[in-house]
Formats: sequence, structure tokens, C-alpha cells
Amino acid sequence: MVPTRRRTLLAAAITGGGLATPALAQGRYPSRPVQLIVPWGAGGGTDATARIVGSLLERDLGQPVNVVNRTGGSGVVGHSAIATAPPDGHTIGMITVEIAMMHWQGLTELKPTSYTPIGLVNQDPPGVQVAQNAPYADIRALAEAIKSRPAGTFRASGTGQGGIWHLALVGWLQAMGLRGDHVRWVPSNGAAPAMQELAAGGVDIVSCSVPEARAMLDAGRARSLAIMAPERNPQFAQVPTLNETLGINYSTGAWRGIAGPRNLPAPVVARLGEALKRAYDSNEYKEFMASRGFGTVWRDAEGFASFMAESDRGMGEAMRAAGLARG
Amino acid sequence: MRLHDAALGGLLLGLAAWIWWLTGFFPAFPGQDYGPSLFPRVLGSGIALCGALLLLRGLREGGPVLQVEEWARDPVRLLSFLAVPGAVLLYILLSDWVGFIPLAFVLLLGLTLWFRARPVVALPVAAGVTLAVHWFFAGMMRVPLPRGWLDAVL
Amino acid sequence: MEAILQAFALVFDPAVLGVILISAVFGLFVGAMPGLTATMATALLVPVTFFMDPVPALGAIVTATAMAIFAGDIPGAMLRMPGTPASAAYADESYAMTRRGLLNLNMGVNLVFSVAGGLIGIAVLVLCAPLLAEVAINFSSFEYFWLACLGLTCAVFLSNADPVKGVLSLLIGLLLATVGIDPSAGVPRFTFGEVELMQGVNFVATMIGMFAVSELLRGAVTVRGSGGAVVEQVGDVFRGLGAVWRRYWFNFLRGSGIGTLIGALPGAGADIAAWISYAVSKRFSREKEKFGTGHVEGVVDATAANNSALASAWIPALVFGIPGDSITAIVIGVLYMKGMNPGPTVFLENPQLIYAVFLIFILANLLLLPLGWAAIKGARQVLRTPRNLLLPVILLFCVVGSFAMTNSLYGVSLMLAMGLFGWFLEQHGIPVAPLILGLVLGEMLEQTFVQNMIKADGDWLEFFSRPIAGALGVATLAIWVLMVGRAVAGGRAPKAQVA
Repeated sequence: MVPTRRRTLLAAAITGGGLATPALAQGRYPSRPVQLIVPWGAGGGTDATARIVGSLLERDLGQPVNVVNRTGGSGVVGHSAIATAPPDGHTIGMITVEIAMMHWQGLTELKPTSYTPIGLVNQDPPGVQVAQNAPYADIRALAEAIKSRPAGTFRASGTGQGGIWHLALVGWLQAMGLRGDHVRWVPSNGAAPAMQELAAGGVDIVSCSVPEARAMLDAGRARSLAIMAPERNPQFAQVPTLNETLGINYSTGAWRGIAGPRNLPAPVVARLGEALKRAYDSNEYKEFMASRGFGTVWRDAEGFASFMAESDRGMGEAMRAAGLARG
Repeated sequence: MRLHDAALGGLLLGLAAWIWWLTGFFPAFPGQDYGPSLFPRVLGSGIALCGALLLLRGLREGGPVLQVEEWARDPVRLLSFLAVPGAVLLYILLSDWVGFIPLAFVLLLGLTLWFRARPVVALPVAAGVTLAVHWFFAGMMRVPLPRGWLDAVL
Repeated sequence: MEAILQAFALVFDPAVLGVILISAVFGLFVGAMPGLTATMATALLVPVTFFMDPVPALGAIVTATAMAIFAGDIPGAMLRMPGTPASAAYADESYAMTRRGLLNLNMGVNLVFSVAGGLIGIAVLVLCAPLLAEVAINFSSFEYFWLACLGLTCAVFLSNADPVKGVLSLLIGLLLATVGIDPSAGVPRFTFGEVELMQGVNFVATMIGMFAVSELLRGAVTVRGSGGAVVEQVGDVFRGLGAVWRRYWFNFLRGSGIGTLIGALPGAGADIAAWISYAVSKRFSREKEKFGTGHVEGVVDATAANNSALASAWIPALVFGIPGDSITAIVIGVLYMKGMNPGPTVFLENPQLIYAVFLIFILANLLLLPLGWAAIKGARQVLRTPRNLLLPVILLFCVVGSFAMTNSLYGVSLMLAMGLFGWFLEQHGIPVAPLILGLVLGEMLEQTFVQNMIKADGDWLEFFSRPIAGALGVATLAIWVLMVGRAVAGGRAPKAQVA
């Protein structure tokens, strides 16, 4: 890091968020600060990812990129704010896997096609975490124990009812030939409180992603037995996949990407896409995501659209099968 | 303005009934005994109980149903009272279109003048406060205050 | 020892000290502005810290948050509008002190006991972080449920009003907390199809409405007639503190102790710490009837509690990497970025950095004395302003502050509705403080209740099956029995009521 840049950035943030940038070419995009809406609160993984992406985009676009948290309603409020913004590229947002789930639950009308995709930047598969002192040496022992005990013996947590990690658990149980409610789901207000419950002995399994569980894993309070992904995560290379241990080919995951409201002009999408790609390729982004243990995946606008369509279809099927879809 | 306790109690009973009725539309889940309607119903019952107590107590005490203070009969003071929610309402309705800076300035100026500040003082105060608030909240803290008419200038 | 010397060298570097000073001023401003929270200050500092070394990066966050938590007391006392959620519990009491002409004493108490409470939190953080972290991490939904119950029980003591109206206010607050997505099945409740209502009722916007706007409504009626300043006060902020200290030193220790414990719990931060310690102060006070009328006792407890909670939230964060509040949740991300992976090993691998953080904590709290004093002096000019100018300006702050809480006009609409509703309630002798507490604790209460019932499969005995949960539960029930017993015994005797 060059010291001068460090100082200017500090000065910029302290004195006015870099508002000093003159509008060099009026009419060219972006001509004023860009809002990056985050449907989740400060302190969480989506907020952290959005803030690093935002600060890298800001450097590239030459206009301030302001991260704006629009929280609550299980993500509906923020997703709706992105979808209903004027489609001029000055309001974009980070959309998350919930957009492929909430409409199946009847929480909102919004679905992936309500947005103009710009790029996918992250994906994290669910893991299977147990407390450190749990009597299961590996995922096989846990799976045997779940199958041999009557329904309702085990308790799991990770999100609210019908959230992504609930769905992951249901999918795994069904892949093992069990009913989706064989393990009792304890709704929680996110992965962190669920991991706290796990460490305190309140639940037996937490099916959140490994990076979300990382604090408790590093603290020696919990163990990750497997991840539900096609291959291992290089950040957590010691954690096996379900396929290699149980022979179950089940994988799903939470993802995050940048998108704007529907009907964003093509030049704006192109400009943002380039900037986002450069941000994605930068060392800062790679280092940051690695330091948090978050997975990095890239899909451009077109790839992101088909990725979301696929995710939407898969989630719909899974939720109907699990009895979580409504309407 | 003050309702009699008995009338207040009656209102609360109505509120509790309305809440109970609304909870009837919440979906129930098989195998889930502690559903979305449990807590609101418990709270609604509590409110109904408080309402009933107030109603009984109020009926025993007696008194006028509605007491109106002196200021509410004076049109000027009543207007002063209404100016506060009125200004907020105007902000809610107009801020997206007009933008923070012009609207906040006009509202500040209007209110200070209505409260009989001298224009020589009111003008610079309204302008200075508007700009300072905009600088700190929008510039430094990156709160997305609406840009409105000044969109091209900012 | 060598690590401590290294830490001194790291902290007492001109550039680092400069960063600390700038972030101190920044924190004071953020804290004093209603609607801007210490968490927001931290989130905004993160992109800046990307480009800093670990010590100035953490120093900026530590300093800014410590300043912000104190500064939130200033508008609470002067305008009945808490600057941060952590000051909400005693904003009403502080404002009552101001109206009695005790603004100087209130500000002095807030400043000095904030500093002292912060130092106690740091002392615990330095001396017995691992021990306390071990207790905190064993809190499950059962313990949190009883904690919420205990807090709500205290709410009944929060007001001196008619008990029926106090309970009614609490119930309305709990009911408002059920608006939004429900914690058991994830369905929207009482949203009437409005997307914005799905985020629930924001408690800061509600407070700004119920406390500040309702106060403006009352003031607007008389402002054209008077036009003069609210209160004219001269004198020394530090005068009279010795007497307060001699009289209430135990309150200070108790407040700091409760604050430290609650701060160390993952998921409960400085705001909950202030509420509970204020309520405890009232429960065990010999002069309960003075609470709410501008009595300094509860302020001592609560202002010490929120600052000590701020420091102790770092205990689980540093020892386990588990955040104690939303600020440390962001801090943990910064720690990872700086290669200081939190956990027991960080004390072995980077002891000089950890000592440096401790040093900055102490430094920031000491710096709070002169800077806080200057902030009070500056802010006091506000009250000299004629009311016909002050009232519209406060209204603008209410609007912008509640907008900033939700980043949308929903916050402003909520503030307006709650302002009128709060005015209506106070007109009818219904206190608003229990309502706010119900709104704050409602979600925790319902969420943990549902979790407990699912986990226990409906068996109530499980609520007492864990040692800490059992003790908390028995304590709560004992208080209820005592309360009912006393009400029955004293029911016939006329009660002294202070409106």
C-alpha cells in the first residue's frame, strides 16, 4: 500500500466520501454517486462482501459507491428496493440466494427475472457442523445415528423456517432416504446465533456454510464433518464432501451477486460488468474473500442469468418436496 | 385532548378484538404447535384485560367523555401544534421529488417564521442547518438523502 | 513484557495518535446525531481501515465507538432524543433532570461514569477475558429467554404511573414487536401487504417519535408566546460529582458489572445492558418513587453499563472470534483481514497487537474526559438557542435521524405515527418507557420461547434444566411471587403515586 493513497483515502472518507470527484463527462455513466443496496445488516457476510466490492467499484467507476443497508423481512425489503429503483444504473444491489426462494414461500412476487443481472461473485455450500464434544467421529457416524434414531430425536438450526440452510438439511435428509422433518428444525435468526446454540448444547447440528461456522470451528467449539458441494473448498481442505463420504451426490449453496432493476440499459450493464470483473480479479478481493473463507465464483451477466434460473428451478423443486412452498 | 378512561378502555377492547380477528388469517402448520398466532393472541388477551379494567374503573368514577385543553380552542396555537406533524407529512410526500436540500430549507424557514423568528435570523439559520446536515449525513455518513431537483448539481 | 513495550511503541506513534484523535472527533459527532449509531460508524470505517496497518485500523474503531456511546447521552439529556440506541434507556430520566435544572450534573455524571465504566469493562477484558468468555458462550436460548423475562419484569417498575397503564404500555410494545416476519414459521404478520412493514417496527425511529416528537408537539403550543431559551444554565460540569460518587458508588459498580456481563454475551450489546441495569437500579433503589422525575441514581447505573458493555463485547470476540455485539461482528472481519485471526491463539501469536488494542481502549477512555467535556460545552450552546429556532431544527434532526435508521421514508413515517401515538398515550397517563422496552425485548422473547418449545418438545421443565437457566428462571419467578404478594398485601393501603 502506498502511504499517500492511504492518506488520501482516509481523508476522502473523513471529509466527505470522495464527493470531490468532478463530473468530467456529463451524460456518461455514472454521472453521480451509485447506491449499492444490501438486503442484510452491517456485520454480516453479505454486508462485508458488498463493502469490499463497493470500494473496488468506486475506484473503477470514479464515482462514490455508497453501501446502503435495507434490512428486515428476511431480505424482502432490500430485494424489493433494488427491483423497484429507477433503472438508470445509479441504484444497484447485492442480491442473494433468497431471491430464488422467497417467492416460492409466497413472501414476495419478486424472482430472479425481476432483475438485470450484472455478475455473480460468490458461492458458499452448506456444511454439517456438530459440537466439538459430539460423539460422532465423522459424517458416516452422524448419518448412521440419525437413521437409527426415531424422527425428532435430533435438532438442527442455521436459519429461520424455510431458509437456505433449512432447505440444505432437508435436501440431505431426503437424499439419504429420510423424511425432511426427521431432524427437528429450530428456527434461528441467522447462522451466528445457531452456532452459539450449538456450542451451548442447545442443538445437535448446524447446517450453515463453513465460513459462517468458522469462528466456532477455530475456537475449538465445533467441528465441520462435511460440505454439500461437488468438491472440497481449498480454504477448508480437511472437510470432505458428502459424495466422497456417503456417496450422496447432493449439493446446493448460498450465492451473492450484483444486479440492478429490470431493463437496465445495455451500456450501463456493460460498464458495470467490466468494472465488476476487474474488481473480482483484483488481489484485494481475492485476499479479502480468502481471509473470511468465502468462496469466489464468477459468472458474467449472461452466465449469472442462467445460473439464477437454474437455482430458482432447483430451489422450487426442493421446497415443494420439503413441503415448504406455499401457494 | 383526553378521552375518559372508560372510553379508552372501550377502544382497547376493540383493538384486542381486531388483533384476534387478524391472527385468524395467519397460516397454521401441522406439527408446529407454537405458530405465528400464539404470541399476538396472548398479548391481545392481555390488552383486553387492561381495557376491561380501565372501562370498569372509569364507569365507577364518572366524568366527561372528552376533555379538551384550552390551547386546542385557540386556532393559532392549534395551528402551531399541527405544524409539526404537517411539516413531517410534507417531507414524506415531497422529498423524493423535490430533494432534501430545497425541501428542508423551505420547511425550516417556514416553521421558524411561523414561530415568529426574525427573517434576518431565520434565513441564515435555515440555510446553514440544511447544508450542515446534508454534508454530515449524506457526505460523510453516506445516508442516501434524496437529491431531487439538485440531482444534476450535486 | 517485551510485547507490552512493543505495544507502547505501536500505539505512541504520531500517525497512530493522529488517527485516534480524528476518529475520536468523528465518533463524537456520529454519537451525538440521532439515528446514527456506533455500529454505522464502525461499518463506515471499515473501507478506510482496508488501507491501514492493524493498530491504527483497530484504534480508529475502538476510539470512535467509545466516543459515540458517550456522545449519545448528550442529545438524550438536552432534547429527549437518544443519540444512539445505547442511551435510550435513560434518555427520559436525563431529560427530566435537565428540566429540573440539573443538566450540568447529568452531563458530568454521564461523562465521568461513562469513562469509569469503560475502564472497568477494559479491566475485565484484560484480566479475565477467557474466564468470562467461557460463561458467556454457554448461553443457549433458555438462558436468553429468562434474561428477556427478567428485563420485562423490571419494566413494570420502569414507570411510576398507574400499574394497569404501565402493563398496558408494555403489552402494546410487545405487540408492536410482532409486526414483520414471525420467528417461528417465517410468515409476515400485521404487514397488510406492505413490503416496508415486513422489516418490523424500528425501535430507534419509534423512540425518536415517542420521546422527541411528542415533546415538540407539547412545545409547539407555547413557542409563539415565549420565544425565549429553554433553560439558562451556568456552572461547572464536574461540580457535585463527589457527592454523587460517595452516595452511589455501589450503583456504579453494579452497573459496570451488569454491563460487563451482558456485553460479553453474544447477541446482547450496550443497549440491552443499559436497559437492564437501569431497571435493576430502580428495582433495588430505596427511592423508587423518584425514578422518572429527574433522579440521578439510575443514570449512574445505566451510563456506566453501556460503556462497560462496549469493552466487554470484545471478550468473546477476541477469545473465540464470536461477536458480543454488532460492532465486534464487524471488528472480527477486520481482524481476519489483518491476519489476526481471533481465537485463543491470537494471544500467543500477536500479543503485542492485542496489548496495543488494550492500550488504545484505555487511551480512548481517558481521551473521552477532555473531548467529552468540550463536546458538552459546545452542545450546551444549543440550549441557548431561542426555542422558535431550536424547535424546527430538532424536527429536522428527527426526520433525518429516523430516515437514516431504515434508509427510507418508512422510518420517517414510522416516526410521525409513533410521535402522535406517543403524545396520545402520554395525554392519557400511559407511560411510554415500558412500551419501548417491550419493543426492544419482544423479538428475543418470542424467538427464544419458540426455540425452547421446539427443543423441549413442549416440556416446560426443560426451561429449568440447565444450571444458569434454572437460576435465572427461579429468580424471575421469585420476583413475580414477591410482586404479587406485595400487591395483595398492600392493595388496600392507598399508594403514593407520582405522575
